[in-house]
Amino acid sequence: MYHVSKAYAAGSFALRDISLELRRGEFVFLTGPSGAGKTSLLKLLFSAEEPTEGQIVVLGRNIVRLGPAAIPRLRRRIGVVFQDFKLLPRRTVEENVALSLEVVGTPPRVTRAKVFAMLKQLGLQHRRYHHPLSLSGGEQQRVAIARALVNEPEILLADEPTGNLDPDLTLEIMGLIASAATRGTTVVVATHELDLVSRYGKRIVRLDAGCVLDDTPAPGDGA
Amino acid sequence: MRRALVQLGYFVRTALRGLRSSPVTSAVSVVTIGVSLVLVGAFALLLWNMEGLLDRFGDSLYVTAYLEEGRPVEDRRALVEIVATVEGVERVRVVSKREALERFQAGVGRGSALLEGLDENPLPASLEITLLPERRSAEGLRVVVESLEGLPGISDLASGQDWVEGYLRAVALVRAVGLGLSVILALATLLIVTNTIRLAVLARRDEIEILTLVGASRTFVAIPFVMEGLVQGAAGGVAAVLLLLGLFRLVLPGFEFGMEFLLGGVTPRFFSVGEIAALVGGGAGLGLFGSAAALTGGWKA
Ligand SMILES: Nc1ncnc2c1ncn2[C@@H]1O[C@H](COP(=O)(O)OP(=O)(O)OP(=O)(O)O)[C@@H](O)[C@H]1O
Ligand SMILES: [Mg+2]
Repeated sequence: MYHVSKAYAAGSFALRDISLELRRGEFVFLTGPSGAGKTSLLKLLFSAEEPTEGQIVVLGRNIVRLGPAAIPRLRRRIGVVFQDFKLLPRRTVEENVALSLEVVGTPPRVTRAKVFAMLKQLGLQHRRYHHPLSLSGGEQQRVAIARALVNEPEILLADEPTGNLDPDLTLEIMGLIASAATRGTTVVVATHELDLVSRYGKRIVRLDAGCVLDDTPAPGDGA
Repeated sequence: MRRALVQLGYFVRTALRGLRSSPVTSAVSVVTIGVSLVLVGAFALLLWNMEGLLDRFGDSLYVTAYLEEGRPVEDRRALVEIVATVEGVERVRVVSKREALERFQAGVGRGSALLEGLDENPLPASLEITLLPERRSAEGLRVVVESLEGLPGISDLASGQDWVEGYLRAVALVRAVGLGLSVILALATLLIVTNTIRLAVLARRDEIEILTLVGASRTFVAIPFVMEGLVQGAAGGVAAVLLLLGLFRLVLPGFEFGMEFLLGGVTPRFFSVGEIAALVGGGAGLGLFGSAAALTGGWKA
């Protein structure tokens, strides 16, 4: 799906000569200690950072040479759950989730329906007129997940999506993310919770100090 | 088409949200644009009214040639024919001594008692020489007066030349000052509006960043800001028109004497609907350019 091989730096290397390939609809955990470069790797995938070296192919396009008009088009096909959520404080939960539909010009009625369904799935429908700052960390995280999933993206990049959730909610949210993968969405979940990773029996890529430590394919998968 | 409408709805909502969320910034832009348009508008009004006066009085710009007394009628008839052939002359009309007296009495009214003590009419007959429309200017007057000078039978020549020249100079001055002022004000306003909107852009930098991260194009992010600028500019324009109208209606009558002097007693004219639209449009343009400039400069900041 994308062939990744790059080094990224601001003087020192955050990622060193990484090569990875993901198939469409694959579910991959990206793990490693803090500072291993998980977030950096995800940022490269939706063109929030440019690689210092190497080429990245996402959805059939080499995104290293992408022009300024093509980057937004790429991002509209990728849902991202940011580690720090990146919600707009002055807009309601509903408006925040609607954002990823509005940028592609979805009619308001469709947007409202989709946003409501999404929030309901995440147990947030009663919060839809609240502002993000009045929500708990776990609730904000779910809003971020809702925004990433509502547009049915072809790729989902989730950076610590369960970091602020209790075990029950973690289970539920991971189920939601996994079901996106079964519908054909390529999913990358970055996390340092190792027990979470081991529980799901998916492909695991372990990063450390910017290098791939090992790449364990999902059990019963020939890849 | 449908998609464009949907996006327009989003842009309008976002622009309105922006205006609501930063009322002070918006007010600064509106007031800045309004003030500069009031000044420019006031100059334009003065200028157009002064020019309008010239047009209306152009018809009555004529040269008066006073005739020597005691000349035979044939001489006078020959003179009229010669004068009629002078370049730039449209029409020649003879004003007899009697007519001159009647005019004088009509003009002075009751004061006509002034002349009653005299046995003889002291007023000379004259020729009223109308100029071709394209010659009705200080220059045209001068040329005709020069051609007529020294013709036998003419004792004296009078024309509004000096007055017209002075007035034209005044109009030119008002125009130059107004034009210079407009350019300076437009630049200053653009600068202030640009910086005001740039502040608004900086204040919403996080919002802009997040929008781009979820796939919004630059245009998508920029359009609401540009619309805000447009609305602020148009509001400034409307405020300027209202203020000018207020001044025009309430303050002008208090300066009747000054107006009398400048405009010669002609009722001053306010802007036409088209000119009002141009003023409001000018404001909107200032706001539009201001915000566009703020954005192109503000991206990297
Ligand atoms: N914008 C940046 N400029 C400079 N260095 C950066 C930048 N972002 C990350 N780094 C560095 O790159 C390295 C990897 O950071 P990254 O955020 O990718 O780690 P991570 O695996 O996501 O860690 P965590 O689990 O804490 O989120 C770190 O050493 C960090 O200091
Ligand atoms: Mg991280």
